[in-house]
Amino acid sequence: MRLRRKLHGLILEPLAGASARDYFVLFHIEPEFQIDMAALERAYHTLLSQFHPDRFAGKPQVEQRVAAQLCADINSGFRVLSSEVLRAEYLLKRAGVDLAQAEKEGVGAAFLMTQIALRERLESADSAHPSERDALSVEIRDRYNASRDAFASAAEDERFKEAACYWQEMCYLSKLRDATRVRAA
Amino acid sequence: MAGDVLFVQAAGRDTRPGSLTMVLLQISEPGEPTASHHSRQIALGIDLGTTNSLVAHFDGTETQVLKDDAGRAALPSVVYFGSDDTKIGYAAEPFSVTEPANTVASAKRLLGRAREEFADDPYLTLTQGGALAFSTAAGDKTPVEVSSTILSALKCRAEQHLSGNIAGAVITVPAYFDDAQRQATRQAAELSGIRVLRLLNEPTAAAVAYGLDADAEEASILAVYDLGGGTFDISILRMREGLFEVLATGGDSALGGDDFDRAITDFWLAELGLTQPSAIQRRVLLGLARSAKETLSAQQEVTMDCRALDIDCAELSLSREVLEGLVGSLIDRTLQACDVALLDAEVDSVDRVVLVGGATRMPRVRAAVTECFGREPLCRLDPDQVVAMGAARQADVLVGNRGEGEALLLDVIPLSLGLETYGGLVEKIIERNSTIPVARAQEFTTARDGQTGLVVHVLQGERERVEDCRSLARFELTGIPPMVAGAARIEVTFRVDADGILEVTAVEQLTGARSEVIVKPAFGLDETQITEMLKASYEFAAEDMTARQLAEARVEGEALLAGLQSAMSQDGDLLVVDEAQHLKEGMQALEGILAADDPQAIREMTEQVGRVSEDFAARRMDRSIQSALKGVSLTSLDADQTEERSDS
Repeated sequence: MRLRRKLHGLILEPLAGASARDYFVLFHIEPEFQIDMAALERAYHTLLSQFHPDRFAGKPQVEQRVAAQLCADINSGFRVLSSEVLRAEYLLKRAGVDLAQAEKEGVGAAFLMTQIALRERLESADSAHPSERDALSVEIRDRYNASRDAFASAAEDERFKEAACYWQEMCYLSKLRDATRVRAA
Repeated sequence: MAGDVLFVQAAGRDTRPGSLTMVLLQISEPGEPTASHHSRQIALGIDLGTTNSLVAHFDGTETQVLKDDAGRAALPSVVYFGSDDTKIGYAAEPFSVTEPANTVASAKRLLGRAREEFADDPYLTLTQGGALAFSTAAGDKTPVEVSSTILSALKCRAEQHLSGNIAGAVITVPAYFDDAQRQATRQAAELSGIRVLRLLNEPTAAAVAYGLDADAEEASILAVYDLGGGTFDISILRMREGLFEVLATGGDSALGGDDFDRAITDFWLAELGLTQPSAIQRRVLLGLARSAKETLSAQQEVTMDCRALDIDCAELSLSREVLEGLVGSLIDRTLQACDVALLDAEVDSVDRVVLVGGATRMPRVRAAVTECFGREPLCRLDPDQVVAMGAARQADVLVGNRGEGEALLLDVIPLSLGLETYGGLVEKIIERNSTIPVARAQEFTTARDGQTGLVVHVLQGERERVEDCRSLARFELTGIPPMVAGAARIEVTFRVDADGILEVTAVEQLTGARSEVIVKPAFGLDETQITEMLKASYEFAAEDMTARQLAEARVEGEALLAGLQSAMSQDGDLLVVDEAQHLKEGMQALEGILAADDPQAIREMTEQVGRVSEDFAARRMDRSIQSALKGVSLTSLDADQTEERSDS
């Protein structure tokens, strides 16, 4: 139930606050799932270094305001593009995929069963042997990577309906993956 | 209508790709920014601390912490409000024993807080306006007023040291300060006549003090361990190519060196068998505990003269070993927060550790930090002064004394921001550790048929339930046309500026009904109160006030005119039909009104012309984005090609 709510939240998030700036254009990178992270970071830092409101100290307030809005876009854009799950979602939205509809259709029953089983194992993992916990973390990570790679190739071939399904798997599995990290600490 | 607090999230918003079509913007030569050559502006860095406050100034080559006539850098954050006079700092300290009710210490702990949180403090009361206050012989004093008195003293000290007008100050706050506490700090500065250039997180300031001196290394990770008198902060930063990025912050807003003093005091009380100490005895013991703790950083044993307690005992002793036993669990709490911050920052190790706060002088603290991070901490700069020094460096940048290419600070918000949804749950809109400035929007809808209004309840915190989070503001959106439940589309936008201050807007998409709020501290002072107090203040005779406001309004108006003139000559081709005409008319009107002596009219006209030129400014910035990335993309392309070549 909780997961559902959060997942819903992801879908609802509009593009870039009030403005609809294309993040790939903003950062000057190709609109693909596989991106050069170093190039993205370089572009992010270059843009912020130039357009942060601090760079407009002493300039008219209108410029400071516009710079603050632009920076908010730059920060949102970097957040979206630097996260695999959010980047996947953004590519789908960009391709015009109806994510609400995709979510209604859901993921396959088999995946759902596996996911529930994984979560149960994770919840009982606290009392389990450390080696068992590590094995579970590895399994979750591998499954996530598999869904991600499947998304990447579906998106590349523009099989977006299929990609939307893999994207939902990525959402579920990334949450499980984060949960294993929190438990490890 | 207003009773309909409930609202639930709307179904997915249709985001067609139409608005996302790739646009090939014109690429122009990088515009040469017309650097305005002005004389050096005086900017201050102020560390408004719980126990001590400092003021520092960067003079272009080095940072100086400004001292008082006796050569002391620290100003104890203590104010004595007697019936006839006010004393600040060292002069006020003796009164904490003789007149505890009129002597306010550690007011920072109460900034932006609610009465309920301090219900058992006998010296606290509520003002008529409902603000938390200390009742003193000079009347009720809110924490904001106490802080402003301290800030005035620091400003006065700076004016004695430096010639010229003080353009503004960077004031530091604990990273863990919430929105209300930040607003309260801002108000305190306003009240003392200081223009706030920026509220800067204390740990970030410390990193700046160290980092700007350091060579530009390839991406180094820095941890700032800040154990002050009243708060503990841990921040993880990344420094690279002149960019300071705060990756994560954490800590405990109610843990600090004062707790160490209290632990020692409780230990002694038990040892002496004093079950019901008087307020004076407690204060004497706290003072002794503090100096014993400080002495034990240099030696193994200490004996204190305790005749001031007026009991059958002349001496109290303490060993370092016992002290370390007393504070061990407090130190462990700080280490737990460090682990969480490292996890949040997604880093495995840090390259450097900076110590801030007097309590980090304790050998036990240093050992624990060394063990936790696996390296010796840096302590080249005085841990009590490093924050003020960093603030002074940043103030110098913000006031415009240094041009582009200077280090840039990217800060984050310390706590998540969200709003109340159906069932008393908090929906987070902006997650903690998001880089600011940031804006994020989410859509909501109505829960009942025919619902025409709803209450937007803004909260801060990490927990899921409303009662476990801090309530920041509540406002109503009205005028929603009656529809079936779930049909309305209400977009709520959160905007956090570079100071970490929040603005929330709610807009009903069909009718455009709109409501907004800038979050103000619920327990501070409102605008009119501040204006009243400013007027009443002996420092600002009414004439001075008007003169100051007029000067400030003219500066802003002139800056806009100059900016627009150069923008129109540089990027005139970006103006659309009629726009140039509108702007020219506005500029003429503004120019005319600048000559008049009406600050209000100048501000309004500046604002109006500013709005008219906003789209133009946005287009100009879009153009410079393209030129900004031109070089970068080429470099990245070159790198890719080199890689390919070496692969084949």
